[in-house]
Amino acid sequence: MTVNAEPTVARNTALPSEAPLDRSPRRRRSVGKARVWLYVALILTALVIVVPLIWIFLTSFKTDYNAINAPANPIPNPFTFEAYETLLSSGQQPIFRWFFNSVAAATLQTVIILVTASMGAYALARLEFRGKKIVFGAIVSTLLVPPVIFLIPNYLIVQNFGWLDSIWAITIPGAAGAFGIFFLRQFFVGLPGEIEEAARIDGAGDIRIFLQIVLPLSRPAIATLAVLSFLTNWNDFLWPIYVLLSPEHLTLQPGLSVLQGAYSTHFGIVMAGAVIASVPVLILFTLAQRQIVDSVASSGLKG
Amino acid sequence: MKRRTGKRALAAALAIGVGAALVGCSGGGGSADKGVSLEGGEYSGPDVTISFWNGWTGGAAPVLVPKLIKQFNDEHKNITVKDVPMEWADISAKMPLAIKAGKGPDVSVAHGDDLATYAAQGLVLPVDDIVKTLGYKAEDFPSGLFDASVYNGSQYAIPWSVTPLGLYANTTVLKEAGLDPENLPTDKDSYLKALDKLKAAGVQGEWVDGYVFTGTFEFESLLWQFGGDLYNEDVSKATFNSDAGVQALTWMVDLVKKGYSPKNVAQDGNINALIGGKTAFNWNGVWQTTNAALDKIEWKAAVVPQIGTEKAVWSSSTHWIFLNNKGQDKNKTAAAATFVKWMNDNSSGWAATGELPAKNSVREDPALLKQYPNLEPFMKELEYAHYETVSPGINGANALITTAVNEAVLLKKSPKQALDDAAAQADKILQQNKKQYGG
Amino acid sequence: MASTSLAPVVPRSTSSGGPGRGRKTGTAYLFLAPFLILFCVFVLAPAIYGIWISLHIWNPLLPLKPFSGIDNYVDLFTPGSLTFGDFWESMTATGIFTVASVPFLLVIPLLIAVMLNQKIRGGTIFRGIFFAPYVLGVAVIGVIWQYLLDPQLGVVNHVLELFGLPSRIPWTVDVPWAWVSLVGVTVWWTMGFNTVILLAGLKGINAELYDAASVDGAGAMRKFFSVTLPGLRPVMAFVTTVTILASANMFGQSYLLTNGHPGTTTRSVIMYIADQGLAQNQMGAAAAMSYVLFAFLAVISIVNFRLQREKTE
Repeated sequence: MTVNAEPTVARNTALPSEAPLDRSPRRRRSVGKARVWLYVALILTALVIVVPLIWIFLTSFKTDYNAINAPANPIPNPFTFEAYETLLSSGQQPIFRWFFNSVAAATLQTVIILVTASMGAYALARLEFRGKKIVFGAIVSTLLVPPVIFLIPNYLIVQNFGWLDSIWAITIPGAAGAFGIFFLRQFFVGLPGEIEEAARIDGAGDIRIFLQIVLPLSRPAIATLAVLSFLTNWNDFLWPIYVLLSPEHLTLQPGLSVLQGAYSTHFGIVMAGAVIASVPVLILFTLAQRQIVDSVASSGLKG
Repeated sequence: MKRRTGKRALAAALAIGVGAALVGCSGGGGSADKGVSLEGGEYSGPDVTISFWNGWTGGAAPVLVPKLIKQFNDEHKNITVKDVPMEWADISAKMPLAIKAGKGPDVSVAHGDDLATYAAQGLVLPVDDIVKTLGYKAEDFPSGLFDASVYNGSQYAIPWSVTPLGLYANTTVLKEAGLDPENLPTDKDSYLKALDKLKAAGVQGEWVDGYVFTGTFEFESLLWQFGGDLYNEDVSKATFNSDAGVQALTWMVDLVKKGYSPKNVAQDGNINALIGGKTAFNWNGVWQTTNAALDKIEWKAAVVPQIGTEKAVWSSSTHWIFLNNKGQDKNKTAAAATFVKWMNDNSSGWAATGELPAKNSVREDPALLKQYPNLEPFMKELEYAHYETVSPGINGANALITTAVNEAVLLKKSPKQALDDAAAQADKILQQNKKQYGG
Repeated sequence: MASTSLAPVVPRSTSSGGPGRGRKTGTAYLFLAPFLILFCVFVLAPAIYGIWISLHIWNPLLPLKPFSGIDNYVDLFTPGSLTFGDFWESMTATGIFTVASVPFLLVIPLLIAVMLNQKIRGGTIFRGIFFAPYVLGVAVIGVIWQYLLDPQLGVVNHVLELFGLPSRIPWTVDVPWAWVSLVGVTVWWTMGFNTVILLAGLKGINAELYDAASVDGAGAMRKFFSVTLPGLRPVMAFVTTVTILASANMFGQSYLLTNGHPGTTTRSVIMYIADQGLAQNQMGAAAAMSYVLFAFLAVISIVNFRLQREKTE
């Protein structure tokens, strides 16, 4: 079952931060023309990504009439903040609250995953204990189970805990997934044992070794897991639709879908909602682009 | 057997519920409820906060509802109503389980097609006594509406508003095509004539869609116009695939085939096209009268044309319900009853939200039409409006009507084939409903 | 499972063997406890609870939840039953989407990754742009593309019209265009994710292999097939598996973009299960469906794993 469980992959590849960007003395004597085509292809692809986003951004400054009637002209004429004003004054669609809820939920879940997964992974990777094989086997075997299996039962469990319509519903069950602990375990296994042994000779216990040696050495892997966990929670859609009830507790994803329902004939407003939901994330992404992308890149090699 | 269990639970709920505690009810049952004080319909117990879920998110409601609630809260020192607006669809999806978890609202507004389901599931408290206290009778509401909230002999809701379908027209487009905007089509011939004239002017006059909003509503209106009905008497069999149904759907499909409508209209594509001046007619609900986007164009509403053999139109209805939350606080339900009574007394402004107040005396007050002249055709339609089917679990079957309309309008299946397929599947769902909820 | 092994606490320090190699059952379970508690409550318990639910007519709103044995499963395989037609139609929809989207989600990112792996200016910027849509979330994507792809009022058709191309394409309304939209939007949204992983894989390929190939006189094409692809195999296995699973679990795209239409043709199996279980309250039947889906995915995963391993060996 464990398709990606080959730890050799993890060991052989360098850490992402020190990944040699181009070790090549094999500098290709590239024909100039090929190079031009390369750029053309890349720029075209980039346009395919960027143009719709810009278009939406501009549409959010159109009047409803303009958004329907002149869709082929991206320039808003007249230019209006109408959509934003409606959205922000309605009080029924607290979009900033949704944004805050999303940030809070994604952060909380990430923290829970980092704490529980790193501790568990330490045990699985660096300690010998009875039942290890069974525990590891049980965790790994759930990696490929589609989340829908847990949808109905977890709904009932969460309901029994009285967690419906609360941040716990959208953070705790999702933190129990096997990916985090598996991912970190693969990384921890590959750490060199010498420093740890030296520390043990100095009398360091497991807690100290975990906190002062294993964790600092695993910074890149932990950062990767943090980014992936955050994005997964941020993008979750199916589960929050059903477990969150009141408008002020919604997160952005189900919230936007609400917005689309409420303003189905007001494209400008819906697009303004999409803009408000996207711009902060895109800014954050631009600032931390390198780290985020590098993190994701390394997940494929470690996972 | 299941039904009996459910009934017993409801009887118990009734005994401890508001009803018994309300004034004017014959003593006995209420004696257990010394703590709940509701004299003259006014709650006088300890301070409570009641949660009120509603689907009033569009039109004027986002402004009006908070205003009404603030006014109510100001006038009632011991009651705080918490307004929880969300999409209607979300309410249907979330409320049942929330109530079982004790996290649901104390009072809410539900659509007619959900009432029987809620009642059968024990989610709502019977309101027979509240109704008696407030003195409502069937004649106080448009015909057929009061019955829409009766399930198994008990009243489970108080009608609040009705929202029939009407014919919207972009009068600028009509004029450009040489049509008289003062004389909107009223029957099949005049409607077809208008569509022909529009077509000659290069306008596809009515964009037919295959979505609940509003293709399904149009289909159901036509079905009734041709003398058909959605289900048989005891809702054990789907009958929307009758000849009347096939005629109704064929009419809609022909509009597409003959080029009066484009193919493949998207959700809300037709009302958007009307706003954008790309089409002349749209069958849409009274709620669109408050759509701000319409303010920017010249438009008019009329009763839906009579295409079939009789007058008929689809209408939805909303009703007040009191929820039977796990561990429901009697004081809260009593406070909720006070709130409902107050809302009913102060509902004259409700037309501003694009819904017609259900109460005849409020709706028929001439002052209302003076303020909202656009509502006139919709009011006229109420004589022959058809409301939601009352049967637990009916929404599962209703969804198939939309599937059939969608498949036919997209020319995937013939109207008859689409309706037959949907009816066969609907029959299975009705059978399952009977099994689960009892007949 | 965990509780049985919690009991015996082995003395911590073990003199024999290397440091850290001794048995530390107690310590280990203390470290594992927080995770295992979550795991048992929200993964193991629901997995078993789900089977139990699937053996009942489980309407959470009714007091009685009668035991029905394997009826829910039998129904799924009995033509003419209430769930048979809809379930398999939705499985087919998910199947079509998966088969149509996975090749694009592998090939396009691979091509882009190969391009980005050349010595070029602005590589990081390109990489960032390609990845950007992925951070936006499915609801934003759905809302944006529903507007852009609206058949009558949308931007895409109007732009096509300007260029004199077919401009009445029912992107979100009718098949096969609805499939094109669902696949296209998914590729637009997630290709950056696969691209960066594959790019990292490319950078991990030993440069000497390319040099050796050059010495042998291999051209760009041969290098791609004899060095790049084999070198990428482990990473490709990961990406393939993740992509297949993601596609098979598709929900938001068809929920937001096509709403399952026309008819119920593009309703994915997840959408159907969620509807049956959480909207129609048929949780027993829905749970049974999710296990049948699981069985399918398990078989596919095993086959995929076998194939990848055979190639690697």
